[in-house]
Amino acid sequence: MSLSPGVILRRGFLGLLALFLAAPLIVVLSVSFNATRRMSFPPTEFSLRWYGAFFGDHAWMASLERSLTIAGLAALVSVLVALPITYAIWRYQAKAAAVLAGIGGALFLIPGVVAALMLSAFWGVTGHVGRLENVVLSHAIVLLGIPLSLLMVGFRTIDQAQVEAAYTMGARDSDAFRMVVRPAMTPYILCAFVFVFVLSINEYLIAYMVAGFTVQTLPIKIFANMRQGYEPTMCVAAVIFMVMGFSAFALMSKVADLPRLMGRTRPLED
Amino acid sequence: MTAADIGLTAPTGDLPAKPRWILAGLLTGPALYILIMAIVPAFLMVQLSLAHREVGGLWSPGLELTQYRQLATPLFARIMGFSLLLALTGAAICVSLAFPAAYFITRMRRRAQVTWLVFLLGSLSLSEVLIVFAFQVLLSTSGTLAGALSAVGLLAPGASLYPNFPAVLTCLVYLLLPYVILFFYPALSQLDPEVEQAAATMGASRISTFVSVVLPMMRGQILTGVLLVVIFTFGAYLTPLVLGRPPQWTIAIHINNAAMGAGNLPLAAAYAVAVVTFMAALLLLTRLLSRRRGAEA
Repeated sequence: MSLSPGVILRRGFLGLLALFLAAPLIVVLSVSFNATRRMSFPPTEFSLRWYGAFFGDHAWMASLERSLTIAGLAALVSVLVALPITYAIWRYQAKAAAVLAGIGGALFLIPGVVAALMLSAFWGVTGHVGRLENVVLSHAIVLLGIPLSLLMVGFRTIDQAQVEAAYTMGARDSDAFRMVVRPAMTPYILCAFVFVFVLSINEYLIAYMVAGFTVQTLPIKIFANMRQGYEPTMCVAAVIFMVMGFSAFALMSKVADLPRLMGRTRPLED
Repeated sequence: MTAADIGLTAPTGDLPAKPRWILAGLLTGPALYILIMAIVPAFLMVQLSLAHREVGGLWSPGLELTQYRQLATPLFARIMGFSLLLALTGAAICVSLAFPAAYFITRMRRRAQVTWLVFLLGSLSLSEVLIVFAFQVLLSTSGTLAGALSAVGLLAPGASLYPNFPAVLTCLVYLLLPYVILFFYPALSQLDPEVEQAAATMGASRISTFVSVVLPMMRGQILTGVLLVVIFTFGAYLTPLVLGRPPQWTIAIHINNAAMGAGNLPLAAAYAVAVVTFMAALLLLTRLLSRRRGAEA
């Protein structure tokens, strides 16, 4: 294969882009394996001591556990809310459901700080402050746009002929659901869950403004550490985020057609 | 995002008549959740912005414009102006990098495309805390970048590359690039390769095809991409806080400071209402622009 100037230019551009996107990750990764306490890059001596320190530290582990709990519950809530809405749109073309989906999508377009303020004011007025469930319900509503759009992509892939065939053969809604809808939707539900989970576990501002004083999630703890002075264990926390995020999406690419999930409808050959 | 945008198609043919109670059963829960967690807080914020501020971070319901009067100051205009400048500069950089990137990615083979998508989704999901921290290390005095720059005499020895405007801008571009690339991805992957082939057979070069055929078709998308960057930049809090100095503080920091620091929730709410109004106006403007340009084409 000959390399034309155009190809070289394109590869160079994409290579530089990949390098730019990877640079901060490489920094964090290498600093986390650095033996010295000083925050320095490039690292001088390889060591796993900060990993030992992180996993042996009660406060860090508690933050990690709290973040995992919040992310899991938030993902569950937002998928459980999005599923009936998207099903009602697909199955009944329900106007009310379309309105709800519209609100969910619009929320995703509100600047982060405004959403955080809205929700923190809301919890303040209810008098229910500083609780874990506040973060769960707040994350679930702000991220609702994700399961809504992913599940809609999923419903769109369901073979209409198959559904019609099921009904012609006398299938009831529940049968059609079991035979056609559920198997087709399972990967999309899983992807929506993973996506919300990953974004929730990484979210800082809303968690901080809604319950940050009492519920210290991992990003809140990392940021508090950053402000108080550098401590290498926070790099380990950061690496955990990276590993979790990338493996989640790599997994997603195995269970679902990722290009289609991201909005490609034109067929893509292997 | 409305159902029409998403282009849903429901199964056609002889379906059983839709019983209302099934719909009610399906939608009551989600509707209540959205009502309580989205509509109520939105109204609350508007009410808060009109409330009467009491001492000690408290407030009582009211209908006064005290907070909005504070918006009519040069300070607020300056903050909004700076936020917009940052957002538009960021948008110009992001869109001009993301558009060709997305274009190239959509034309790759499946394996390469999936790898890029995983990489983009992975970096998109990373916490702003983490990215800001990584940039802090990268740009710090002891970092390689500062070392290399001072070695060639571009930077005074021992100087730091932050906090300043370029640091804030670079970090924002970093945070937004994956979003904007993924935003362009569906539209560009839907682009019919035959259109480009047709242009090519008529003697157009790759680049002139891109400029004269692909770009005009994507005008609306590009404008919406710009809007996306603006919305995100107005909402960004940690990046300007850590990598910028007070003159580079965006409206998000001032909202947060008013709410959490000064305990002036009504003022924070008024700021927020102003920001949302501004975003809505921009949304309307992009809709109008893309429609008019679309009609010309």
